[in-house]
Amino acid sequence: MKRFPELKPNFWDVIVVLAVIALAALSAMTVWRGGTETGTLTAVVTADGQEIDRFAPADLLDAPRTYSYNGVTLTVAAEDGNGLRVSSSDCPTQDCVRTGTISRSGQSIVCLPARIVIQLIGGAADSSGVDIVIG
Amino acid sequence: MKRFSILILTLCLCLTGCGKQTTEATAQIFAMDTVMEVAAYGEHAEQAVKYTEKRIEELENRLSRTKAHSLVSGLNRDGSIRHLTYDYWNLIARAKEYRDATNGAFDITIAPVMDAWGFTGDSFRVPEQSELDTLLKKVNSDAIQMLGSPSDSVTLGEGQAIDLGGIAKGYTSDCVEAVFYDHEIENGKISLGGNVFVLGTKPDGSDWRVGIKDPRNESGLAAILSLRDAYAITSGGYERYFEENGKTYHHIIDPATGYPADSGLLSVTVVADANGPDQEWVLPGNGTMCDAFSTALFVMGEEQALDFWRNGGYDFDLVLVTEDGRVVITAGLADRFEEVKDSGYTYETVS
Repeated sequence: MKRFPELKPNFWDVIVVLAVIALAALSAMTVWRGGTETGTLTAVVTADGQEIDRFAPADLLDAPRTYSYNGVTLTVAAEDGNGLRVSSSDCPTQDCVRTGTISRSGQSIVCLPARIVIQLIGGAADSSGVDIVIG
Repeated sequence: MKRFSILILTLCLCLTGCGKQTTEATAQIFAMDTVMEVAAYGEHAEQAVKYTEKRIEELENRLSRTKAHSLVSGLNRDGSIRHLTYDYWNLIARAKEYRDATNGAFDITIAPVMDAWGFTGDSFRVPEQSELDTLLKKVNSDAIQMLGSPSDSVTLGEGQAIDLGGIAKGYTSDCVEAVFYDHEIENGKISLGGNVFVLGTKPDGSDWRVGIKDPRNESGLAAILSLRDAYAITSGGYERYFEENGKTYHHIIDPATGYPADSGLLSVTVVADANGPDQEWVLPGNGTMCDAFSTALFVMGEEQALDFWRNGGYDFDLVLVTEDGRVVITAGLADRFEEVKDSGYTYETVS
């Protein structure tokens, strides 16, 4: 009976196997990184497009937060522990105050004079979760 | 050395297997009196978003009525302008076309009336009827003369002024669509103060879910649309308004009366397909059309708006939110539309 040659992995074989596994893991991480955005509901505050604050809406229950930019000062407060709203602003238009409460991912409050945007991101995806709000 | 061939093969797979790398780039842009959000996905996403920002700045500098050196300010000041580039000339030509198509419900020569109400500079007031009557005589963009090449000139009628606020954002979204194609963007979106253009699907392959704001409840939604390769543009009286003596006056002026439109509608959303990549020039496309028609159809009211949808000769769909608590959807959106539970609206599909 013909015998197969005996296979005896040596040091270099082990190195090759480890290298292949390492490369596979690295590739997988590159693909998966930055995948679906889940997690808890988070408020992101930007001024002129630059992020200036990030917090969980519930944090506002401890104390409201105040931001000043472009000569305007506005205060963000909690609403029923769930959502948040701009409770006061010294901007001339008051659109941010009139926007009222936001509580779902994707919603935002804009104060044009202050160039500040408060946006809710993350949170559990529910059936009404939208990517963009128009109107 | 055979054993190393496996390693080399793996390396080759890693370097070539995934093909192009898709990156995400986003930006928030304050322009045209609103905040815009752009997101692009593709190999050249960064460049696409950078160029989008540049293009929006350029468009604002040309189309704004409050910037002294803009094309529109120059035209309003001098009464005529020559050697316009083909795209801007076309934008004004298209505005005239939409005026005729909507029987005057959309008209860029409404500018002096908007000024009288203070909607241009946020110093609101209710003008006297006699003042409005005088100003309304100048409102008719049929009086604008357009001459094509070689000079591509525009001449306003005596005492006229134009405001492109009703189409500038829509045209901007047309331009951004072209920027996306130029940079081989596969998925992308731009929302401009509530208007939106979406390219392709979301990066995960599903449709973009676009919520239409509830005009009666700032933080609620009246309807949800599932869209891909589409424009959706909303006009509503709740966007900009002021109150005087207990009465609310909003910013969508009916060119027939000079007063805020009172047609029984709370908002109009116009939805149309993307323009597609085969455009030689960035001419006004469906973004511009949706913008103009959302204003015009808000002025017209439900009955006329639906009649225009059926017989107007343009390809678009509608979501109308009415004062009496209905959301009216045209048939083309029936399978891309979702009701919002507990919104308090009743939903009707029309064909």
